[in-house]
Amino acid sequence: MTADGPGPSRASGVGAFVRARRTSWERLAELVSRVDSGRLSLDEVEELDRLYRRAAGDLARARAAFPGTDAEGYLSQVAARAYGALYRRRRGGLGAALRLARDAAPAAFQAHLPALGLAFAFLAAGLAGGALAVALDPLAAQALVPPEVRDAVAAGHLWTEGLLSAAPGFTGSAIAHNNVSASALVFALGLTFGAGTAWLLFANGLLLGAVAVHCLRNGLGGPFFGFVAAHGPAELSAFLLAGQAGFVLAGALVDPGEWPRGAALAARGREAARLLAVAVPVLALAALLEAVISADARFGAAVKGVAGLGLGAALWAWLLSGGGRTPR
Amino acid sequence: MSPDPQLRFEASGVALSLEVAGLGPRALAALVDAVILFVCWVMGLVLYSVAGDLLREVQALSVAGQLAAVIAVLLSGWGWDVAWEVLGRGQTPGKRALGLRVVRSDGAPVGLAESLVRNLLRAVEVPLGYAPGVLAVALSPRRQRLGDLVAGTLVVRERRYDLSRYDPAAGADPRFASLRGRAGALLAAGEFERLADFLDRRAELDAAPRARIAALLSAALSARAGSPAPDRDLAEPFLEALVAAYAEGR
Repeated sequence: MTADGPGPSRASGVGAFVRARRTSWERLAELVSRVDSGRLSLDEVEELDRLYRRAAGDLARARAAFPGTDAEGYLSQVAARAYGALYRRRRGGLGAALRLARDAAPAAFQAHLPALGLAFAFLAAGLAGGALAVALDPLAAQALVPPEVRDAVAAGHLWTEGLLSAAPGFTGSAIAHNNVSASALVFALGLTFGAGTAWLLFANGLLLGAVAVHCLRNGLGGPFFGFVAAHGPAELSAFLLAGQAGFVLAGALVDPGEWPRGAALAARGREAARLLAVAVPVLALAALLEAVISADARFGAAVKGVAGLGLGAALWAWLLSGGGRTPR
Repeated sequence: MSPDPQLRFEASGVALSLEVAGLGPRALAALVDAVILFVCWVMGLVLYSVAGDLLREVQALSVAGQLAAVIAVLLSGWGWDVAWEVLGRGQTPGKRALGLRVVRSDGAPVGLAESLVRNLLRAVEVPLGYAPGVLAVALSPRRQRLGDLVAGTLVVRERRYDLSRYDPAAGADPRFASLRGRAGALLAAGEFERLADFLDRRAELDAAPRARIAALLSAALSARAGSPAPDRDLAEPFLEALVAAYAEGR
């Protein structure tokens, strides 16, 4: 590959080979680490490319003539790092995020609608189950509604009031963290062949349904739906997306197709990541709404409802209509 | 499990390989990151308390300020690794300190999507004390934890190589000048490296084992050269001269 210059012949030994080439390898390593930390001039990028090709040629020679030496190990490492550096320059940083939002995420969403349907089914079953149970037998609330919520409702107000008047900012971040954790878990438990994802979706639906009906029965329906109106749609949507991503993973395990399971998992994991890249910022937004708008009495239920439903509708419209181009 | 598994991949027609990192360095790197994050939080809280009443400060924040607070917590909890891995070419500060790097299984740097997945899967690993992660790292051939398996990534270790061992030593003992030009035939490439390793690290050895190893090596190698074994005190100069002659080439 590199026929330029009087290259060391095999006979002259690894020492002469290293001495003849070392300066250009070390220059390559320096350029690569400068790609990591800063910018290169156009000339230096060209130099990097040229040095990388030479080093790749040297590596092939070292493999053949001096296998197992430090020279080979060093070259292999430098060439691999240089490859990473050059590769990344072609790939682009912020542009990739833009492409993800415009094309890749909606495309992944549309490609896995059955998984979304499954997530929705488990969440809805939980919701219906929780609501029905408390509606038919108020004693079920003892089992399904958390004690602090029951205490607050028994005292005639929502549990959120005391909580949020303390420190909205803190609560907001705590809520966001909690929601992100729950969504991450819903996604990650896809690795249990979907069983964990299904259970978490169902359990969260159960809780929400039971709490809603418990509030309704105790005359707090208005305040409750007023409270969840602003952030609820976005939050539930993001939770569903995480569930969809979890079932995408589960699909790779249950039915890897013609691939080995590991490869199928890695490929579908990349698709699922695109769904998560949507879900996480939406959850952050929902947490912000919850802390700032939902808890604030100055905003009427109508404002909250319009804000929440508007945000949810915008999210679904974007996911359903966007894309069109298949992601690479 | 075999030591030092390798990640092999092909780039522009050349087969490249990187050493896959084991459990120890990775756990250490995670510890370093946790300490840095902890110090950052403590410092932030101290600064905040100096400035005034924490609760009132937060309550008085504007919407933008509260947004910043939400984002700060999110970033430190979930985003620390993602941000460093994406912007720092696969290295968090802890990984950088240990010479580790996250790469895709095709050798390319990790992107946003892969980093997001491999770090979000900590959700199942952290509550269980990282047990699934540790098991997966120990059992998978490429030392991947669950997040790595799903994201298609792995952690590689960058070794520090010292190429100066190939420099001809200036002060090689003249009594062994006859080795010059013959060392290439006496040593295989791998043997040269191990011999150079011994000479590099001999200062760390106790005197007795150091002398014993040097004597064994010099006896075996001088037999190959067809000359009598050097005296005990000349064993190391003989090995030095041999390495220097080998590095010099013919």
